[in-house]
Amino acid sequence: MTRNARSDGLHEDVRRFAAGAATRSFTDLALEIAAFQREFSPGFARLCASRGAALESVDDIPGVPCDAFRLARVALHPESEDRLRFLTSGTTSGARGLHAMRVTETYQELALNFGRAALLSNARAPYVVALAPLLDDPPSSSLGHMMAMFMVDFERRGQFDVRTAARWLIEERGVNLTGLEQAAARAHERGETLLVLATSFALVGVLDALEGRTLPLPPGTVVMQTGGFKGKTREIEPAELRAAMADRFGIGQAQIVSEYGMTELTSQLYEATVPGSALQRERHGTPGVYAEPPWLRVIPVDPATLEPVPTGEVGIARIVDLGNIDSAVAIQTQDRVRRVEGGIVLLGRAAGAPPRGCSLAIEEFLNSGLQ
Amino acid sequence: MSDFDSRRARLEPLFESARSLADASTPRGRLARERLVASSGLSAQGVDFALERCLEVAPDEPEIAALIRSTPTAQVAHVLLSANVFVAAHRAIAIALAASDQVRVRASRREPEMAELLLAGAPGSFQLVSELSPRSGDRLWAYGSDETMDEVAVTLPAGVALHAHGSGFGAAVLEGAHSDAELSALLTALAEDIALFDQRGCLSPRVVLVNAEREFASALARELAHELEKLEQRIPRGPLDAPELSEIAKYRDTAHFTGEVFEAGLGFVSLAHTGSWLLPPTGRNIHVLATPDPVATLSPYRPLLTSCAFAGEPARREALRRSIPGARVCRFGEMQRPPFDGPVDRRDL
Repeated sequence: MTRNARSDGLHEDVRRFAAGAATRSFTDLALEIAAFQREFSPGFARLCASRGAALESVDDIPGVPCDAFRLARVALHPESEDRLRFLTSGTTSGARGLHAMRVTETYQELALNFGRAALLSNARAPYVVALAPLLDDPPSSSLGHMMAMFMVDFERRGQFDVRTAARWLIEERGVNLTGLEQAAARAHERGETLLVLATSFALVGVLDALEGRTLPLPPGTVVMQTGGFKGKTREIEPAELRAAMADRFGIGQAQIVSEYGMTELTSQLYEATVPGSALQRERHGTPGVYAEPPWLRVIPVDPATLEPVPTGEVGIARIVDLGNIDSAVAIQTQDRVRRVEGGIVLLGRAAGAPPRGCSLAIEEFLNSGLQ
Repeated sequence: MSDFDSRRARLEPLFESARSLADASTPRGRLARERLVASSGLSAQGVDFALERCLEVAPDEPEIAALIRSTPTAQVAHVLLSANVFVAAHRAIAIALAASDQVRVRASRREPEMAELLLAGAPGSFQLVSELSPRSGDRLWAYGSDETMDEVAVTLPAGVALHAHGSGFGAAVLEGAHSDAELSALLTALAEDIALFDQRGCLSPRVVLVNAEREFASALARELAHELEKLEQRIPRGPLDAPELSEIAKYRDTAHFTGEVFEAGLGFVSLAHTGSWLLPPTGRNIHVLATPDPVATLSPYRPLLTSCAFAGEPARREALRRSIPGARVCRFGEMQRPPFDGPVDRRDL
């Protein structure tokens, strides 16, 4: 069987798994995808060989470090078969990583499936706006692309052009507060709820623009926040930001839900807090605890040995994402996490080794933009 | 006595002190080894190797004269020392003594021993202080990370001249044809450059650029790994802390994915199959980069480069020197022993 035929078969299996019609377990699928990648990705094959272990359990699958996406192409197929190319923007370095996708349907189904479960709370379709810059064409931001998908899917009124200024409320000069007020007024008039998709630094921009005023949003409004601050604005503790947004928008704190995603992944994690959402009903989540979708598993590992740590101990997140069929089924991040009841808690990024004396630290090298 | 002679005279007690520390057969030499093992993070053999190879016990007169002539005078000379490359305290204090008869030194909190040991052998030649308080007209020579340099720069009173020597890294360039014996000698020498101070200094090589096909670069990387492994038997690496081990684990997996990794005892040599590369973590790890023009490849890194070992044609050596004017260009095996003619890092000049 050819590479693409095997890949297509795996995509079908994973979509079936995500739809709840699985005939195979998470472990079976993860191990088959890893074996497939070992066969067609020389880099992953070398990584597996360096471990010297057979791929017999999910814990055996080595995570491809996120840095690899910046230094090499992490894809089993050639560039000519790319249908989506997402670029990372995760560091202050000029170097950007690439996550190329050959099959978009799996990405779409997984993102929508868990997004609906986490963010939609009642039978009425919400009006969706993004506190993010206008989506580029073709999309290079995985987050922007996901936001656009949510607009079309969650509003349930067929295909429409999402690339309008009324939908994307971050402009060159900053937050388009008037646009957000107009979206709120529109939703109030029509008796709709609002779904605001936002980056954390955009929410800080809203707080600053409001200058202490309130901007009441319709009852049932949900705000999805994601991402760090990346030096783009002042930083606010997550709990403080959540409380401030709830206060200004006149909504419950549980309606502000955090998402965790990465360009290098296909799938996302959410807090299971939105009242009435499928995810909240199933997991009864608490703020700060990120629920994994059934097709993704976070394994906290020791930063030095990369071996799984005992449950409840802090490690860095190795993420096994069945959606990453044509790239890397396991990603090794530097995000510190701890497994708790209902999911994982994010504890911030593991700091690089601080410079000892005058040797150049890797982070300084990256930030020099000379890589 | 001329101004030059009086400046020269101030250096002599310091040189005497250094000589007695370098000699393992003296009580001071033994004491130095004992105390520096505890503070430096190096193995006992690593400390001994560094004292033997890198502490300038007999700088020649032209070098000393160059150091004195290139050092501006000051009312008071202040020195902020870095950790890890403990022998650097000697040169840093010598520069300050060439600048002034009033020298105040603040040692690194992590590695305070070398400055104390030098002072004990040259009492009264400088003052060890817990905080530096430079005033207008004084000069401060500061060594350490860029972060430390930034902090120092913003807190300095007006009128104080700052000579900041921040973070950096070293590289090695291998060009031209070499016999097997020559190549072997070059790699043996380079392994020593890498192993000294477990690579925690700004002169330590972190990348080797070679103008060759990947197959040759791969063989070279394998041989270098072998040399490092052999050297580790004689001079073990010191313990690393958790963040260092974490960076090594991350880099090692990245390197496996993007190319080849050759185990070199506790360290490794990496070789990329792509043009992009990442600086390897310290702890006796080095990256080999095959490139048709090492000089051009290295040139953009000049703001970060402090030292570059070169083996190849003299004309190319000169081209390298011109392309990285702030770095010292030297022979393999001499990266950690630059001439005693001023700061090791010439980026400030």
